Amino acid sequence: MTAWVVIIIVGIATFAMRFVFIALFGKVGIPGWLETSLRYVAPSVLAAIAVPAVLAPGGVVNLWSPLVPAAIIGGLAAWMTKSIGAAILFGMAALWLIQWIG
Amino acid sequence: MGERSAENTVDDAAKGMWIDGARSVSPILIGVAPFGLIFGVTAANSDVPTLAAWASSFIVFAGAAQLSIIEVLGTGGAAIVAIFTAIVINSRHLMYSADMGRYTSGLPMWRKVAMAYLLTDQAYLISTHRFRDPRASASFSSFYFGAALSLWITWQITTTAGFLLGASVPESWSLEFAIPLTFLALLIVAVKDKPGLVAAATGGIVALLAVGLPYHLGLMAGALAGVAAGVASERWTT
Repeated sequence: MTAWVVIIIVGIATFAMRFVFIALFGKVGIPGWLETSLRYVAPSVLAAIAVPAVLAPGGVVNLWSPLVPAAIIGGLAAWMTKSIGAAILFGMAALWLIQWIG
Repeated sequence: MGERSAENTVDDAAKGMWIDGARSVSPILIGVAPFGLIFGVTAANSDVPTLAAWASSFIVFAGAAQLSIIEVLGTGGAAIVAIFTAIVINSRHLMYSADMGRYTSGLPMWRKVAMAYLLTDQAYLISTHRFRDPRASASFSSFYFGAALSLWITWQITTTAGFLLGASVPESWSLEFAIPLTFLALLIVAVKDKPGLVAAATGGIVALLAVGLPYHLGLMAGALAGVAAGVASERWTT
């Protein structure tokens, strides 16, 4: 039930954000402060999700888990190829290799 | 030439632009497909009810936000944190919407509604990159629909396929790690300049320090701190 409520609210809000300026353009423009803030939304939120998920899986900080080297390898793959697929491929392969050795 | 044949020419040109849009977006579809599969597989293996997670593909239709809902709800986060995170991730659509409005003012309302529903990073980028001149707006809307609808169909097919495959993936594969890897890859692509790097570093460090907070509230703290740091860094460096 919770999941449905979350998804429907996010769905409505997402459509509203996609629609608002397409519908109102000419009457209302995007405010300058909002435009500036929006530039930094993606790096902030993505880091706030990814960093704890790798360095503190399950809510406890652990810098020596196999996830850390696997994420570094996946991150390098993403950096060199700009591709999500490559990050997943190399990151998962590294994780499996480390788990298999350990 | 009469008015009638002139209209036909416009219609043919519009049809050509649909196909042109679909063709131009096809290399991007190859990158979207694995993301859709991964979303489906990981969501099917999470604690989030499968039907709701699957329905998010056409209710929300935004990969990173859908994945963030699975990550937050699937690991014991509060509903309000899941809603906040997904809305903040999708707030970038405000920028796209504001830019697209320059091309769409003359279009009928149902087209504007359909354009907004289908709006994605890829559809926006590929279309506005093509049409820097708003006077090309008639062709713009057809090109956009060709690209955006191809992305929508690809997303629905690949996420559904992922859900169907998901049940057969054994737990020992640790496939849930694909979620942080995806966000890491999106992050690396999103950091384009120094203020962006400051925003990412601040967001990541604050979220890590606040990881002990209940319901993933640390994520909200990190996101807000990161945006503030990015804006401050931009002010100081320019």
